[in-house]
Amino acid sequence: MSLFKVFSKGLYDQNPVFKQALGLCPTLAVTGSIENGLGMGIASTFVLLCSNLLVSLVRKGVPNKIRIPIYIVVIASFVTIVDLAMAGFVPDLHKSLGIFVPLIVVNCMILGRAESFAGKNNVGLSLLDGLGMGVGFTLALVVIGAIREFLGNGSLLGIPVIGAGYEPVLIMILPPGAFLTIGFVLGFFNWLENKRNA
Amino acid sequence: MKDILRLGSILMLTTAVAAVGLAAVYSVTKPRIEEQKRLAIENALTLALPMVEKDAIVPAGDQSDIQYYKAYESAEKDTLVGYAYITRGAGYSSTIETMVGVDSSGKIVGLKVLDQKETPGLGTKIEEVKYGESDPWFTRQFINKPAAKVQLEKDGGSIDSITGATISSRAMTNSIAEGYHELQEAVKNQQN
Repeated sequence: MSLFKVFSKGLYDQNPVFKQALGLCPTLAVTGSIENGLGMGIASTFVLLCSNLLVSLVRKGVPNKIRIPIYIVVIASFVTIVDLAMAGFVPDLHKSLGIFVPLIVVNCMILGRAESFAGKNNVGLSLLDGLGMGVGFTLALVVIGAIREFLGNGSLLGIPVIGAGYEPVLIMILPPGAFLTIGFVLGFFNWLENKRNA
Repeated sequence: MKDILRLGSILMLTTAVAAVGLAAVYSVTKPRIEEQKRLAIENALTLALPMVEKDAIVPAGDQSDIQYYKAYESAEKDTLVGYAYITRGAGYSSTIETMVGVDSSGKIVGLKVLDQKETPGLGTKIEEVKYGESDPWFTRQFINKPAAKVQLEKDGGSIDSITGATISSRAMTNSIAEGYHELQEAVKNQQN
């Protein structure tokens, strides 16, 4: 696999949300607006980079039988660090992401990359893989956040884009809107894939 | 058996390293996090009591149920011109904590939501600042109204609730009125 491919596969071919359907819990929960999706995406990318780095560094010393608990300890530690750092340095973002930051721990995308990539590859490749997957995850969150914010609040990034006469479809920024949006978006990508393969 | 011991000690080592690392990060970020909390309160106080200087506000009432502050005309602390109090109301999915400033007649002069974790995009609109504006449109409605009597329009008052977030709107509105009564109690008790 070429170096570029290691990075770019996360953007589309193996996009964590659209293609692998991983990390759906945070995806559904925080994508009520572009801003929240972006913040969550960046925080997750940071944790993914750190965990891929450390997992690939220690991969030869980790006994196969207990690799999962060790990966979880690594990921949980980095999430706690991100949580504390955000509370100390960017309190506003920390406030708006609230409970979702600790939830990065259970984002199976991160454990998935540790298990299927960083545990088998060297540091450089693992970082590249983490960056690609993180950017792909962030893109997915921003796309879903944009659709929901546009329909449910008539704005993009908090700036109103539809006239005042527009009655926002409130359900789109509520949990059902997240399921609806992700269903249609996944359907769209499957349709695109089928058309390409036909 | 040997395997269990070996694997167990590796796991223990891993968690010990993680614990030491986390303790280090915690001790570095702790003062910063506390500083941010203090700044948030200070910022809320200047928004709640826009008419007085920062050094003319003093914390009061450690013994009472409600946390409140006294506002004086100047830093000499001679003439009392108002109070600020922190009040809490149970919202839809969280406790909504608000700092409210009142003048000596009980009229609201300023307020700021300190903490809330309501439904993103609905309940969080109690703090929403519209594009091109400088303060949240929902809380602006409270200014110049008597704190003891604020109520939603639906409940017979004059505060417009947020579409789709009546529970959050009501929780905050009612907590302001209830908080004011607690403040009056606390002030009365302190005078006795």
